Amino acid sequence: MTITVTPDPFRLVPYHTATVHGLAVDAARVTGFPDDVDVALEIDEVLPHPLTGTFVDVLGDPPRVDMWMSGANFEDPKRPLQFQHELARAELARAFLRACDRLRPEFGNAPADEELSDRQRAAWDVWTEGRAARLGVPATRPDRLLYHYRLQHGFNDVADAVFERLWHADALTWDDLEQACRDTDAADTRERPKRTALRKEQLRAPKPDATPA
Amino acid sequence: MRKIFPPNELARDERFVRTKIEDRVLDPRNMAMMERDLGSAKLEPSRPAAADRARSLMHGIFVGEIQALEGAGRTCFDFDDEDAPFALKLDMARQCWDESRHVEISVKLSEWMGTEIGEFTESTFLYEAACADDPVLRLCGVNRALEGLAIDVFNTMKEFGDVSGDPVLEFCEDWMLADEVTHVKMGSDWLRRLTEKDTERRNRALEFQRTVDKIFSLGGFRGEGDENPIHLARRFRAMAGFDDAEMDELAEIAKQAQADAEAMAAAAQQGGAYGA
Repeated sequence: MTITVTPDPFRLVPYHTATVHGLAVDAARVTGFPDDVDVALEIDEVLPHPLTGTFVDVLGDPPRVDMWMSGANFEDPKRPLQFQHELARAELARAFLRACDRLRPEFGNAPADEELSDRQRAAWDVWTEGRAARLGVPATRPDRLLYHYRLQHGFNDVADAVFERLWHADALTWDDLEQACRDTDAADTRERPKRTALRKEQLRAPKPDATPA
Repeated sequence: MRKIFPPNELARDERFVRTKIEDRVLDPRNMAMMERDLGSAKLEPSRPAAADRARSLMHGIFVGEIQALEGAGRTCFDFDDEDAPFALKLDMARQCWDESRHVEISVKLSEWMGTEIGEFTESTFLYEAACADDPVLRLCGVNRALEGLAIDVFNTMKEFGDVSGDPVLEFCEDWMLADEVTHVKMGSDWLRRLTEKDTERRNRALEFQRTVDKIFSLGGFRGEGDENPIHLARRFRAMAGFDDAEMDELAEIAKQAQADAEAMAAAAQQGGAYGA
């Protein structure tokens, strides 16, 4: 397995590529990531806290993993620009857990990360964080994630029960996550936005060769 | 006991870490951020990192409430009855009571959102505006400028609670918003009474208010466009005694502050950053 980290070196923030690489190798080990899959990890050093975000996708055959993470994911919220090891360790563990999911056939029909709905992504994040907590990854916070989840799934008892179900689940499929979303959607009485954007808004800058929608 | 308490000696435990406003202005990422099209800055649940943005803003409100309490408390103590009439101090004491309640509400709201006390950085420039040696300047800087900003922030958070279907956030912000309208009105009333026969003092105080307003509009934080996360709450500001001309002027100050921040970021970028 080869993990490549970009940028090398960082130019806007005092992060060290070798440190990120070391933590990524460790995250791959902790999460049981397969030895024969290469990973390209891109850190977007432009984005400050709280503009956090992660995309994990599997491309090609043989498969390789493409990870994009906001630099804010590694930034100490109390000390602008400062790299926080514990936070980075947890963020990378989450990303590798989701990469492991995507490599399984049960997730073969999952849309690419940029195409996931906010509801789908939040459900997946809960399952991921629950597993990270059970693996002993530091800085996993159910209370913090519950708020992120409720924003997408609703502030009601059905949504909270689904949260518990996802958090404690050991093995799920993409269909299970979709079912969880259907369950909360049915109980969600909030008004839906009347218009939807042509392109889903993302923090990630469009790739230079991307064709506008 | 000394008068005019310095900001760097405010009591905080080890959970709190402070940053300076210059650190934010000179952040080497600012210029690249401005070149990036991140869409609307409006706080909405469907926007990327919505939860972290809301949690960060809520923590900013929490530390702002602590400093507002400290500022109003100092105004009760720092002046004799000639500089600040007893009735003004009574109003400030009432404001302390309100701010204490707001601190407690903010702590509970932060817990509700999954945030720990001190999880985010603290800037003390709110309290710094409460260190002026003239009570009229304090009333303009704190009650009219900063409590006015609180109206804009609470209204934004209340709308966010409404859109996201979060009944707790919406309800709490609405209650605090009502108090802020009262605090701004206190500032407006006392400004008028204390400077009734002293136009020069009034003008000095209003100039100080403009300076504070500009600082707190920094980098487009507040304004009336899609690129501003906090919007001027004109309806509530009118209830607090601001007239249309004042609000138009504030919108203009916000635009200027954004342009200034862009220029400073460009200058900082030319000065170099990290790495090669």
